[in-house]
Amino acid sequence: MPKCTIDGKEIEVKPGENLITVAKRAGVDIPVFCYHPGLTVVAQCRMCYVEVEKMPKLQTACSTMAAEGMVVKTQSDPVVKGRAGTMEFLLLNHPLDCPICDKAGECDLQDNSYGHGSAYMRHSEERRTYVDVDMGPVIEKNMNRCIHCTRCIRFGEEVAGIHEMVAIKRGNNIDITTIDGNPLKTEYAGNYADICPTGSLTLRDFRFRKRAWMLKKTATVCEGCSKGCNMEIQHEGNVIYRCVPRENLEINKHWMCDEGRFNYHYTQDPTRVLTPRSGEATIGWENAIQNLKDLTDGKKITFLVGSDLTQEELATVQEYINAYQKGSSIHHFGTDGVSESVDDGQADKILKMKSKTSNLSGAEKLGIKSISHLKTATDVVVVIRGGRADLNVALKQVQGKKLIGMGVFLEKEISTFSLVLPGLAFTEKEGTIINHAGIEQKIKRAIVPKNTVKAVSEVLMLAANKKAKEAVV
Amino acid sequence: MSQTTLFEQHFWKESNRNLDYYLQSMNGYQAAQKVLKEMTPDQVIDEVKKGNLRGRGGAGFPMGMKWSFIPKNSEKPKYLVCNADESEPGTCKDRQIIRYTPHLLIEGLIIGSFAIGCKHAYVYIRGEYVREANLLNAAIDEAYAKGYLGKNIFGSGYDLDITVHRGAGAYICGEETGLLNSLEGKRGEPRVKPPFPAVSGAFGCPTAVNNVESIANVPHLIRMGGDTFAQLGKVDKSGGTRLISLSGHVKKPGVFEIQAGSMTLRQIIENLGGGIINDKKLKAVIPGGSSSPILTADEIDVVYDVEPLMKVGTMMGSAAIMVIHEDTDLVKLLLRITKFYAHESCGQCTPCREGCHWMESILHKIVHHEAKPSDLDLLNDVAQNIGGKTLCALGDAAAGPVISFLKKFKPEFEAYIKGQNKYA
Repeated sequence: MPKCTIDGKEIEVKPGENLITVAKRAGVDIPVFCYHPGLTVVAQCRMCYVEVEKMPKLQTACSTMAAEGMVVKTQSDPVVKGRAGTMEFLLLNHPLDCPICDKAGECDLQDNSYGHGSAYMRHSEERRTYVDVDMGPVIEKNMNRCIHCTRCIRFGEEVAGIHEMVAIKRGNNIDITTIDGNPLKTEYAGNYADICPTGSLTLRDFRFRKRAWMLKKTATVCEGCSKGCNMEIQHEGNVIYRCVPRENLEINKHWMCDEGRFNYHYTQDPTRVLTPRSGEATIGWENAIQNLKDLTDGKKITFLVGSDLTQEELATVQEYINAYQKGSSIHHFGTDGVSESVDDGQADKILKMKSKTSNLSGAEKLGIKSISHLKTATDVVVVIRGGRADLNVALKQVQGKKLIGMGVFLEKEISTFSLVLPGLAFTEKEGTIINHAGIEQKIKRAIVPKNTVKAVSEVLMLAANKKAKEAVV
Repeated sequence: MSQTTLFEQHFWKESNRNLDYYLQSMNGYQAAQKVLKEMTPDQVIDEVKKGNLRGRGGAGFPMGMKWSFIPKNSEKPKYLVCNADESEPGTCKDRQIIRYTPHLLIEGLIIGSFAIGCKHAYVYIRGEYVREANLLNAAIDEAYAKGYLGKNIFGSGYDLDITVHRGAGAYICGEETGLLNSLEGKRGEPRVKPPFPAVSGAFGCPTAVNNVESIANVPHLIRMGGDTFAQLGKVDKSGGTRLISLSGHVKKPGVFEIQAGSMTLRQIIENLGGGIINDKKLKAVIPGGSSSPILTADEIDVVYDVEPLMKVGTMMGSAAIMVIHEDTDLVKLLLRITKFYAHESCGQCTPCREGCHWMESILHKIVHHEAKPSDLDLLNDVAQNIGGKTLCALGDAAAGPVISFLKKFKPEFEAYIKGQNKYA
């Protein structure tokens, strides 16, 4: 394999790799703004200068392919001066409003300024200012902070498949905006905020709610559809503030859709049912388990499980049925129109899948059949769902039956239920899910659940215990 | 020395632009016929290489070499694009060619297209050249009517179409990759190189981009043979003649033709330009378009060609000489030049977008007596941070004049700061 030398370290290179990738592997950090591994290379920001032996000028590492025998210096005097020059240029018109900017703490411009810029400013002219356009419900724009890296323009064209952000005017007056000032249309708009290297594009949903450095980060997987995009839940004080995509080149690359990004909100909805209910009345867990036993003991029951449950939860329900509810049936439900994984497929050309639950493949792997195979339901039906599976799909099959709900529900969803046993949302539990392509992934607990809700396994264990105790007596 | 000229004698008479004149008085389309019927593309390229024909647009790159970079076995279509954007301030030679000898350009395009295997050539003409675009289109129509363009040219089985595409008036679209973006209907912004246009140019296909004068020289070169063409040049590596746009404080400004490397800058100014206007003293010369570093009056005994000018730290560029006499305020001149580059910066890369405007602001302060002494070092440093650091050559074009003016005429800037400038 060809080798090149970066800051004295010899490292193997693959054909077509640029110097940023190679340097990263060698443990050498090259500062960038416009470069993004998921987008085309434009070499516009001029931050990633390196010195390459035998080349007269400084080269941009993003657009220079590593080659056999190349000797690269990333810390030489010309490089340091070049980067300082670029930093100075970028800050000429930047408002330097970090104290009130939401990006502070996770801002490339701020970080690189500390790393490569000067603490003093030689520019004393008036700064360039812009009038901002309304970017729609997801993104808030502050053009004054923009450094014209064009990541957003390229993201729209190359990833989201929509040409909606553009550069207009030129030179010092260049403006990065939407076509005709229209609001963003893409369903992937949140990514604009992720890739913006400054506070120019920020998430309306997140801004001014929490400083970036206070957030704790839990690496998990989105439950929004059967794609299984890797994401990070960012939270503090047991409250989720936002979700951002994590890189997984096999599944979601660097991106996620807005539906998945904002999906977590229902888990913090003030109308989420957090205490056991019998009809309209709030009851204690002791009574709730008793009610469950009374309604189900010794009967054959129709169990409907959401394909948004984890493998562990689904297997527990299966084991419980085998041990305590012999002869009961179990069927999965999830998305209207997608009863089995053969019905699943890409919902758009980017990431979204038709199945709006995360574990359809997993449920099938455990041998659970779709609700479309359910002929007649028993008088009592147990519906267990994680929070994402479409209740209507289940309810229209079991109209007029006595319903027991387990899992995550909102107030407006439980009017037809006789008994509700509140459970854990995907942010509050650990488990395994299998995506549409058969890739097994783990979801991780980010939030400590309220002590009035119980995991499916715990509820079933309590019910089993009760049955066992009474049998002994 | 009497000069052999290829173009000049045909200028300034409107009827010369007609096909009849071209056929009768300029052996029109004979070179193209010879090439299409008797030569292979490789022979054409070799002949051009032999003729030492170098690009007339600014960089002076050997044209045969450029054509030989076009991959022969590529399955993609290949394009020849003629750069008629002529946007470097001071340059007006391509306009002459299009106005008076448009068929020379068309014949050159036929030969060049044949050499690189192109079936559709484009002429990207600057938006301001409305009349010239019309003239060129009229000439192309004449050529189509005679069967010199279109299908099966001269019965050789070779097809070629030419499209004239008008720009919208941006300096940066004279940069070859900016031009290609503009031709494709995109924003006129230069592209990252590599890939070079020879590999991935117009519409992602192999493309040669050549200046009007370069292409118009090709029929001459083929007619007289590469060796004879090379001998017209009086310095190594430069064949043929050069059209020079002489402007500024000379008695007789205009477009002149000399054999490449046959005269010094001083001879050009004195013999062709008739000396300095009002017999003033010469102060400085900008030798190759506004982006070339300035020369002082003592530095002009230099042979006017690519390499000799490079040796004295400037460049021949598009061969646009601007002559400046003693009463000229160079600080204001530099402000004007810098303002041009700040205005024409496309804005995609950082040093040029921010730096050119900053240089303009500093110069503005100097001219308006608001600057501090330290601003001169600052101005120089900003220019150094732009020069050699941008994505395309516009950054260098903007930084070059600033650095050279400051180096050679610093006292004038200092006088401004002290409030003692004599031109106020």
